Amino acid sequence: MIDISKLLDEIKASPYREIVISTPHTGVVTFGELREGDTVVGPQGQWKEKPGTRLATLERERNPKPILAPEKGEICRIHKELEGRFVEAGTPLMILRHMLTRAEVEHAILKKALHLFRAPERAKYYFIPEVEKKIRAADAHSVQVRDGMELLIMSRMKREVPLNYSGPDGVIYAIYFTINENMDAGAPLLGVCPQDQLPAIQDVIMRVQTEWTERG
Amino acid sequence: MDNNIEKRLQSLKDRLSYARDIFAGKHDDNLSMLEEKLAEFNARASMGEMQDPYADIVSLEDLFSYVESRLEGLITPMDKVRIVRHPQRICLRDILENVYDNFTEVGGQDEHSLDPSMLIARAVITRRRGKKTHTQSVMIIGQEKGHGAEFRNGGSVKPWGNAKAQQYMRVAETEGIPIHAYIFTPGSYPVEDYPGAAQQIARNIYCMAGLRVPVIAVISEGGSGGAEAIGLADKRLMLSHGYYSVISPEGAAAIEGHLKAGERATPELIEHCAEHLHITAQDNLQFGYIDRIIQEPPLGARPNHFDFFRQLRQEIIRATDEVVIQSRGLPGFRKLALARLRRPDINLDETHIRWGLSSGNKDRLVERRQQKYLHFAREAALDKRPFLTKNAAALRDWLSKPWVHLKYDFYRKHQRRIKSMVEEVGGEIDLIKARLFSPWRKIARLPAKKTEAAELTSLSTWVDDQRRSKWNYLSPRYKIDRTLTCPNSATYGCLDLWGPDLFAEFAGVCSHCGYHFPMEPEWYVKNVFDVDSVYEFNAEIEAGNPLNFPGFDERVAQAKAKTGVKSGCMTFEARIDGMKIVVAMLMGTFRGGSVGAAEGYKFVEAAERAAKKRYPFLAYVHGTAGIRIQEGTHGVIQMPRCTVAVRRYVQAGGLYMVLYDTNSFAGPVASFLGCSPYQFAVRSSNIGFAGPGVIKETTGMDIPPKYHRSYRALSRGHIQGIWDRRQIRANLKQALLTIGGRNLYYR
Amino acid sequence: MSTLQDLYKLPLDQHKVLVANRGEIAIRIMRACAKLGLPFCAIYTAEDAASGHVRHAREHGGEKSLYRVSSYHDANELMSVADMAECTAVHPGYGFFAEDFRFARRVTKRDRKMIFIGPSWKIIRELGDKINTKRLARSLGVPTVPGSDRPIYDEVEAERIARSVFDFQEQQGIKRPLVLVKASAGGGGMGIEEVYDIDMFRSVYRRIRNYALRQFKDEGVLIEQRITDFNHLEVQIVSDRSGQHPVHFGTRNCSIQSTGLQKRIEVAPGFAPHNISYSFNAEKVLVDIVHYSLTMARKVGYDNVGTWEWIVTRNGEPFLMEVNTRIQVENGVSARISTVNNEGGVDLIAEQIRTGLGQPLGYGQEAIAFDGVGIEYRLIAEDPDNRFTPWVGRIERFSWQEQPWLTMLTHVPTDEPYEIPTEFDPNLALAIVWGKNLDEARARGREFLDGLVLEGRNAAGDSLKSNVNFLRANTERILRF
Repeated sequence: MIDISKLLDEIKASPYREIVISTPHTGVVTFGELREGDTVVGPQGQWKEKPGTRLATLERERNPKPILAPEKGEICRIHKELEGRFVEAGTPLMILRHMLTRAEVEHAILKKALHLFRAPERAKYYFIPEVEKKIRAADAHSVQVRDGMELLIMSRMKREVPLNYSGPDGVIYAIYFTINENMDAGAPLLGVCPQDQLPAIQDVIMRVQTEWTERG
Repeated sequence: MDNNIEKRLQSLKDRLSYARDIFAGKHDDNLSMLEEKLAEFNARASMGEMQDPYADIVSLEDLFSYVESRLEGLITPMDKVRIVRHPQRICLRDILENVYDNFTEVGGQDEHSLDPSMLIARAVITRRRGKKTHTQSVMIIGQEKGHGAEFRNGGSVKPWGNAKAQQYMRVAETEGIPIHAYIFTPGSYPVEDYPGAAQQIARNIYCMAGLRVPVIAVISEGGSGGAEAIGLADKRLMLSHGYYSVISPEGAAAIEGHLKAGERATPELIEHCAEHLHITAQDNLQFGYIDRIIQEPPLGARPNHFDFFRQLRQEIIRATDEVVIQSRGLPGFRKLALARLRRPDINLDETHIRWGLSSGNKDRLVERRQQKYLHFAREAALDKRPFLTKNAAALRDWLSKPWVHLKYDFYRKHQRRIKSMVEEVGGEIDLIKARLFSPWRKIARLPAKKTEAAELTSLSTWVDDQRRSKWNYLSPRYKIDRTLTCPNSATYGCLDLWGPDLFAEFAGVCSHCGYHFPMEPEWYVKNVFDVDSVYEFNAEIEAGNPLNFPGFDERVAQAKAKTGVKSGCMTFEARIDGMKIVVAMLMGTFRGGSVGAAEGYKFVEAAERAAKKRYPFLAYVHGTAGIRIQEGTHGVIQMPRCTVAVRRYVQAGGLYMVLYDTNSFAGPVASFLGCSPYQFAVRSSNIGFAGPGVIKETTGMDIPPKYHRSYRALSRGHIQGIWDRRQIRANLKQALLTIGGRNLYYR
Repeated sequence: MSTLQDLYKLPLDQHKVLVANRGEIAIRIMRACAKLGLPFCAIYTAEDAASGHVRHAREHGGEKSLYRVSSYHDANELMSVADMAECTAVHPGYGFFAEDFRFARRVTKRDRKMIFIGPSWKIIRELGDKINTKRLARSLGVPTVPGSDRPIYDEVEAERIARSVFDFQEQQGIKRPLVLVKASAGGGGMGIEEVYDIDMFRSVYRRIRNYALRQFKDEGVLIEQRITDFNHLEVQIVSDRSGQHPVHFGTRNCSIQSTGLQKRIEVAPGFAPHNISYSFNAEKVLVDIVHYSLTMARKVGYDNVGTWEWIVTRNGEPFLMEVNTRIQVENGVSARISTVNNEGGVDLIAEQIRTGLGQPLGYGQEAIAFDGVGIEYRLIAEDPDNRFTPWVGRIERFSWQEQPWLTMLTHVPTDEPYEIPTEFDPNLALAIVWGKNLDEARARGREFLDGLVLEGRNAAGDSLKSNVNFLRANTERILRF
């Protein structure tokens, strides 16, 4: 079992993550009134239905589109020199210093505690339909996995290949891939918790819940 | 101080605090004076300084009464709103105990009820005629506010509470006993959990439009949809200090002041709205939407006003008697009986009229009720049709009636029989022919091979290629060179759409995820129906400002100028692949598609036209935000009114379909739209009772995004299907062919 | 705001071309632009940053000649870059937007208009619709695959037609007749099913009809003969904006394909009657399909490069399959055997750009001559023994011996390792080999393949898989029916 206290201490030592905000596509960028040092918020509300702070506006083909803050954080760098200029796709606009939330810390620690099922190749991944249905109906925890079970579909080069799970039996505890996004070879796809370790994992979560206080 | 004095003193204290509450800081000098007198009395009494405390308390009580009746004359509409909302206001249980002779609650007990805000009871009224006593049963249905008891939810009824009400209306119908409906509601609880607020209210109204027992409604607090859910009655009485309105004054102020969620309207704006919405009993009597006002004691009835209950009992008996008499008997006798009932000195407890009705009487009862509603609010719309046209139409109707009757009721029926006979004979002949010619047939078939091969290799004729034809109407937005972002792009990764593609070829549908961008009403008129088959009627009936709501004339004029139409409802006849149909279209572009007197008028006329011509009737809801609040009860009365028209049409055998698009909310959905057995929605549309802001405001609940999406209405059973915009024409055609069977008009 | 006609009148050197594609074809377009003295602007995505076309643009492009975009599939990105780089024309290459009439329409109809280097959008739309194309062909007496030429909506009629397609094949002595049921609004192999027994027809028909209704909002179905034993030929057409005088650049044979029906070897000309004997008059077939293709091109006023695809049965019957309204991968193999006014070095992409921008073609059919045989190999990282599954990994060594008879077209760098991106087909290179006759071309082809070095490894450490052996083994089959 992992040493949770040590991990927590490590994270506490540098409880920040830098988020680079870059342009999703080409266009002319304008920044609002924001300056370095300002605090912005990510999506709010019970269902994250209220969008985050507008960081910039990117206009392409007469369609101005807001670029919104994905998380709460402090602006530590803002490329004001790009104001009013045409930028390429993927141009960095600003950097947010985001203090890790409880959920993120939990996520990070779980990633070390769970059995990780990794991507064999760079490809896009998604669940086979039966599993997808189950997850949609309840949640990922409801899916029991067994060694050798057909679980995912690997999609690349316009071809789709079924992918069998290998590893200890258990339940899916965390999903690390998103649909339509390429995962590099070796990147974790799923975090699986073996049945007998469930109490231990719950304990990890409890520890994080109690010991991690969200600030800022 | 003895007990009696103390009690009376307490009662005066209550009266004072009540007056302070309902006047919300106004008339402070008067009330402070009362307070001083009360304190003085109190001080003197506790010192034992008074010689005749009884005489003193009587004079103090007289002073209170004097001041109260003076203030009574100064009551504003908003004060009345505060009166009906006050915890000291009489509630339905007080009425049950004081007006009726005995009762049994059947809709649950206290908090142990499907919905404690909806109270249902069987009650009896005992009347004496000479030595004989007669016990008459009634079904009591009404909202219970319970003097502020929290579990009563302020009389705001949940969908299942209204369903319970509907269930017992049916029971009363089976038992043949009258219904007394008591309306004590600020409005329905706007949640969409099964059966859905709007859907259930629509069912209630539809049910009441044809209920075969007398229904008497008494309105204390009549908050729009919630009130209509049990309010469609043969006689509507109203308490003098009640209100009956399309929306709460605060809600109206929020809309008028363009407030965002969480912002509060100023008291002045609320007062202004309360005044101009014309919500009082006196206003509504003048409009004709209620039949009688029951006078309350000064500053409104409270549980200890026993005289008031006695009066209410007389009025409710009189109203029931009247309805019964008007539904039956010979005209001469009816008149006499009614005149006797209306004599001021009559004690109705000492007369007796049986409340049972024969089948024929019940027909008359329902017809009278329906006609009553159909005649409401006609004057509230601007009918600019020339006098002659109006009357010529009526004349034509009168002349054509026998012909229509002959054509559809007689000829069609027999035609079918003749046709089936011809078909049978034809079948026999074919059989004989087949036997006779069979030896030759084989020979005759051989050379056909060559032509078949030619069909496979050379150009064929293709006649039905209109399936691939383009749109007859394109949204003018297609001319603008810009892109648009699909609202689902975050979920489905839709790329930006180029406007000229989206608004022309794509018919406003995202080519990636199928999201439907709203289109103009014209798009549907021109692309759903056969080219040049659309014939509009009653375009001259215009939306107006029947309440003279300040500033609203200009806004209506603006809407007319912007859209080029005169009201939010366009009614027309059209064809789909040759099948004729009458359509009423609510247009979201005209003041949000809100329904007022003109829109309701046109809707009713359209339903009647469809019935007369034996055409299917489609309500295409391009969008509706609800009842037009600036028309007050002229608007809200359209809910029962149009539902009556729809019910008459359906009962006569018509096929009534509803198709929702963009956003459809509130009153119309909760009445004449929601009552259709065949409701469909266009993709990406939202259907519901109240929007998220109002739900938050009234229930304090945050609602999840997508709460009002049509697919949720589909899962709940409110609507029957969701259509792709590009398929509306094909789906409508199919629906007409499959849902409309032999027994429907258009066949 | 200039009109399209104004743009056509601009002198060549005032144009600038947006190269709206990637990889090998992007390089060829940039080279053609350079040849014509035209500036260009290229695009690339984050995944594709190491592609040779990016390097080429960097090394040979001028100002504003390379932009990173979010996706090659996002037309908005292309328009946005084109405006920024002040392009006057867009070359779509092949794939992506090449046959998208909406894209072509947008390029030419937007406020800031540009030239779409390809046929006009109306022609793309007309010939992109398979029913339209089939009916057009039939109206001109051009042979098409036996079957219906309009969508069938009625089940009874569908079954009758299917029956007659079976009967028709039986009359022709076809032993195992097959009927193809396909969604008339479909494309790209979706919504197609074979029927070998008329009793199965109804269930297949309903399945396809329902699929078509769901997928394409149109339940029309086409019913055709399924031809199994055939050669795949094509005719290269070139025409200028007048649309009046289309010429052809000969025929190609593309019958050697992967199991997924992807071309692997293309040969020009389409048959070699002088070297190989056929069971039919191959010379006449070639003449006929060229004639038919030109007839159709003239009829629609075809105004750029295009390819008419044909299937030729063992009996020597040609049937029009479809028209590809774009430049094709294999255009180089036709150019290789062609001369114009006795000059070699024909570049069809340059001709496409030149005429596309409004220049007259400047010569007629009589100026075009053909010499020898060209073979194009498509070098692909894939495993032909395992259903041509793509191989993904890193290419470490890639080299070949330069020859005067060899043209190599590739975006894969030879001087540094290259990671094959997973987003696109793993095409590595096109090798065009020329010989004065079939035998020489084949011998040179083998020589080239033998000298080719192509090595690499994937994440698991397995060595690269390619189709070189498949190409070598199939060289013998070239142009044999």
